[in-house]
Amino acid sequence: MAIVEGRVEKTIPQTQKMFDDYGKLNGDNDILHYDDAYAKERGFRGTLGHGLMYTGYVCDLAAKKFGSDWHYRGELTVKYIRPVCPGDNLVVSVDADGTVQCESQFDVTLVGKASLV
Amino acid sequence: MTRPSDVKPREGDQPASLYKDWVVGAEFPPLPFTITPEIVQEYMSVVDADPSHYVIDGRQAAPPNVVAVYMMAVMYRLYPPQQGGIMIGNTIRFHNPIWADEETEVIGSGRVTDKFEKKGRKNICYEVEFKRPDGTKLVSVSHRSAFPE
Repeated sequence: MAIVEGRVEKTIPQTQKMFDDYGKLNGDNDILHYDDAYAKERGFRGTLGHGLMYTGYVCDLAAKKFGSDWHYRGELTVKYIRPVCPGDNLVVSVDADGTVQCESQFDVTLVGKASLV
Repeated sequence: MTRPSDVKPREGDQPASLYKDWVVGAEFPPLPFTITPEIVQEYMSVVDADPSHYVIDGRQAAPPNVVAVYMMAVMYRLYPPQQGGIMIGNTIRFHNPIWADEETEVIGSGRVTDKFEKKGRKNICYEVEFKRPDGTKLVSVSHRSAFPE
């Protein structure tokens, strides 16, 4: 993780095992996360990572940025705008102004805002 | 301990709710569950979380978003899931810490807030609130997903 001029950033390479481990915990059986052929039939590059897993990535950096207040007054709004697939090199960031983003080598995949309310 | 898979209907296991079945205003039956230190550890592992980011006055807290792994279970109790759903967005508000070193009893509840079709997608919006049994608010979520049918 790097912190530069108030921007917190972390790179997390994506694997199918990560999707499987998250799904094992949350009990998700949606085959978009596991069935490569089905996902491609639906028009995606491959299986899709769990949106809430990426929310967790962003929350971790926001917790670092905002400290204890995050637990009492934190608010995060995110939109999942492009898929994340195995092999993607995902850069997760929270800017000094609270703008959050996930970006792979292909696209910006998540946008949003973290703040204290 | 309540693993989310213990309380969450699995996609494909039973006839799925379709877009036409969703009723705006419908309330989800309350879902009680217990978050244990083991669940917190596993959650931190799967979201690549750093424990040092969650220390409050010297005590280890959980990522408050740990409740996210139970969110869809609350909704699915009223509307069994269909395959191929895609998450569009979330707004999450944190109200009080969840501690990493103790069991936390939680009750999840919520309601359908909107449904609409846009760009060929069938969108469902709902809210889920997570509280302790004494009513202390922990986390509120406003959620939107799109489903194929």
